[in-house]
Amino acid sequence: MRHYELMVILDPELEERTVAPSLETYLKIVKDSGGKVEKLDIWGRRRMTFEIGKKSEGIYAVVDMHCEPASVKELDRQLNLNEAVLRTKVVVLN
Amino acid sequence: MGARSNKTLKPKPKLPKGAALKKFKKRANPLKGVEYIDYKDVALLRRFISDKGKLRSARVTGVSVQQQRKIARAVKNAREMALLPYPNSAR
Repeated sequence: MRHYELMVILDPELEERTVAPSLETYLKIVKDSGGKVEKLDIWGRRRMTFEIGKKSEGIYAVVDMHCEPASVKELDRQLNLNEAVLRTKVVVLN
Repeated sequence: MGARSNKTLKPKPKLPKGAALKKFKKRANPLKGVEYIDYKDVALLRRFISDKGKLRSARVTGVSVQQQRKIARAVKNAREMALLPYPNSAR
């Protein structure tokens, strides 16, 4: 088990209320594989310093979690399949 | 012409080694009290990049080599997530 931090940038056209529940469904991957989610922090809509996919804003969310490397990899893969996800980043914390 | 070449040929006054550098005072480390350099901390990282978005050298900011490496990493991570700009020569 390692300590990970995942940052996701979502499409700004999404309803901000729907973000938390939809991320929760993705985080099931972590929970089902024995990991645990410490914190789900939704920053909300934020101006990006440059455009990503013709969008100048994005909804930022940060997840703090403990899980196996394989499940983060799977989570990251599945997030990137979603069109509403503009970008993701996984960072290992010690 | 003659006066000019005279000037350039004039031997420089001998200074003790490093005397020219003494004018510059070493800056206090700006990272005091920061134990983890987080790529999400945009306000902190802004201090280590120039107006053009380029990384400032450690010599300018007065951080240690180890800290500079961590700063560079954090800035690059922040750029990928559009939290900080990429260097832009146009502006």
